[in-house]
Amino acid sequence: MYACLIREPAGAGTGAALETAARACSPRVARIGPDAVLFDARGLTRAIGPASDIAREVARLAADHGVEARVAIAGSMTAAWLLARATPGVTVAPFARRAQAAAVSTLPLSWLSTLPDFRRGVAGWSNAGADFVGPAEAGPSGRQNSRQASGASGGAGFSRPHAKAVGRPTPRRRKGARTRHYRLAPGPEPGVFGEPPPLVPDVDEHLVTLARWGLRTLGDLARLPRADLHARLGPAGVRLHQAACGEDAVPLVPAGAAPRFLERVELEWPVEGLEPLSFVLGRLCDALSSSLERANRGAVGLTTRLRLVTRETHARALRLPAPMRDARVLRTLIQLDLESHPPAAGIDVVEIEADVAPATIVQGSLLARAMPAGEHLATLLARLGALMGESRVGAPAPVDTHDDRAVAMTAFAPASRMPSSGESPPAAPAPGFRRFRLPIAARVSVSRGLPARVQPSARGLPGGLVVAAAGPWRSSGRWWSLAGDGWDRDEWDVEVAGGHLYRLSRDRASGQWVIEGAVD
Amino acid sequence: MATPALKHLEHLLQTRRLDGTLLKPWSQDTRPAAPTGISALDEALGGGLARGELSELVGARSSGRTSALVATLAAATRRSGIVALVDACDRFDPVSAAEAGVALDRVLWVRGPSMTVEMARPGLLDRAVRQALRAFDLIIRSGGFDVVALDVADVPPVFFRALPAATWMRLARANEGSRTACLLVGAAPMGRSARGVTVRLEARARWAGDSLQSRRLGGLGVEATVGQGRLGRDGAAWAVGAEAACTPA
Repeated sequence: MYACLIREPAGAGTGAALETAARACSPRVARIGPDAVLFDARGLTRAIGPASDIAREVARLAADHGVEARVAIAGSMTAAWLLARATPGVTVAPFARRAQAAAVSTLPLSWLSTLPDFRRGVAGWSNAGADFVGPAEAGPSGRQNSRQASGASGGAGFSRPHAKAVGRPTPRRRKGARTRHYRLAPGPEPGVFGEPPPLVPDVDEHLVTLARWGLRTLGDLARLPRADLHARLGPAGVRLHQAACGEDAVPLVPAGAAPRFLERVELEWPVEGLEPLSFVLGRLCDALSSSLERANRGAVGLTTRLRLVTRETHARALRLPAPMRDARVLRTLIQLDLESHPPAAGIDVVEIEADVAPATIVQGSLLARAMPAGEHLATLLARLGALMGESRVGAPAPVDTHDDRAVAMTAFAPASRMPSSGESPPAAPAPGFRRFRLPIAARVSVSRGLPARVQPSARGLPGGLVVAAAGPWRSSGRWWSLAGDGWDRDEWDVEVAGGHLYRLSRDRASGQWVIEGAVD
Repeated sequence: MATPALKHLEHLLQTRRLDGTLLKPWSQDTRPAAPTGISALDEALGGGLARGELSELVGARSSGRTSALVATLAAATRRSGIVALVDACDRFDPVSAAEAGVALDRVLWVRGPSMTVEMARPGLLDRAVRQALRAFDLIIRSGGFDVVALDVADVPPVFFRALPAATWMRLARANEGSRTACLLVGAAPMGRSARGVTVRLEARARWAGDSLQSRRLGGLGVEATVGQGRLGRDGAAWAVGAEAACTPA
């Protein structure tokens, strides 16, 4: 849901005041020229109410800032822009994707020339995207200046700055050539919309072409096949068709520096230990969570900086698996991380900064198995990491090697998936194997090429006469490596008296026997 | 026929989630269970390991405990569930588990310190056991897992006698009423819950091949006995034949 505010042509106020009013509603604001702003109005329904209330509230805010403005709210930036340009007062369009085309379908075709893509009706717009000329300098209509200022595409347009035909550079006019203005017939509801802007053939050549085809309204254009328009008019035809359908080609690019989500407190006296620090962290996380909620953002990373009494800074960075803003969860994660990596001295200043991402709404599936929530899983993994060590918690990962001793771990991040119906359990389960991560040295007597007696060096591991043995299976690899991580060994499965099953291996270079593990 | 007073008492216990301590016969048909993937064992268990309860797989070394554990994990991941394994002594082998059908990306593996248990100092082993129990407790309380297993198979039973008596009761209480099947893997019975089961395993190696060159370990012939909780009913013994070859390297 997007809102567009356009200063009335003869109204009071300035563009800066308009932007201030928009920023009071949303942090994601794009200024389009000196007399218009667009902002992301998603999330305001929870704070203000339905879209009509939002529109009225925005208009009131603008009036409070001394600006007489038109307000339009629609599901896309293009629809909001066109409706605000064409309709005075407050306009609210339906938000459904398909409804965007219907909302603008009755507009006369020439309103497309006002889109920022076409540099029309945006007085003083320069290619830097931020170097605006004031309305006084832009002239009453702004059209002449906009022609002169046209160049590369600005950052806040609704389409990619690709097509030469769309974002046309200033046309070279022949000396003495006269400018002809076409005036299209008004749409079906002439009383609703303002006077449509006239078309200039040199600049609006595609719109003039469409007018020659007999198209009068955006609805007429939207009904044409997009592929055919592309065949005849190229990318410009596609963009015009998208605009006629009320579609945006690019997302909103907010202007200005991204807001920092940072909370900081300077303590009156140093805090020693983590327990008193948890109260400070709780306060900061509450404030951070509130600011994240206001901006409809979630933290995907947390940086905790503790300035110590020794004038050193103890900094810790946490990556979070999913955007989250629950204050208790954030505090717990920071606290657990600091328990694993405590500061070396008392703390003077505490600062928490969040890297943010748009908050996600997770929709559960009726068919897939329920998974633990990302926040719960992150908290659990952080607690386990603090308890066991971060490197000791995760999911086992296969290693691309023939060395059975190799083991690796990766982050535990299971995806939700449907239960597999076709996969049936094996008829007989495979024997399990318990691998001794540190192989246990053993004395092995060999008789006629077979292990005959095993005596482990570990007292708690029973040995004895070998009842049965199978092998050897030879395994070698990385013999070419200079790092000394190659292996070359013979492996045996043996059963010793008492029914214990071991896997033995003999290093072929040194002749040393070790027990790799037990079959269980 | 239950009297109104008895019904009222049961209702009060249920609302406080204390009905797990009630001594009442339960129906195997209605009990939620997590299948182990071993058909003979599932049949004896009445569908699988009881969810919301603490069950045990116990036996000596090479008795088939790890085979049953890995089969249970594989069955759970085949159902698209996620599982957790607290590996107190770091003896889980991902290669053989993957060969047995475990989807490794759905296993939360919590590894204890890598040590030679058979040579470890008692203090070190005791710390590893307590850490593993704490991790097991955290995972149970977090919820959302299909199966959570604590593998302390290589830890001598004497270490568990030193634990406070309420340890296992607290764990069982934490899991009560949840959809998680908890599994302890050890050398001797430790602390299953009231309606959990103790599966005692014994196994004999099965060797295949007639000649010296063709001989290989063909699997384990496992016999299991189900001890069915405090009601004192013993399950029947049966054999689980693991005919799949154990293929080193």
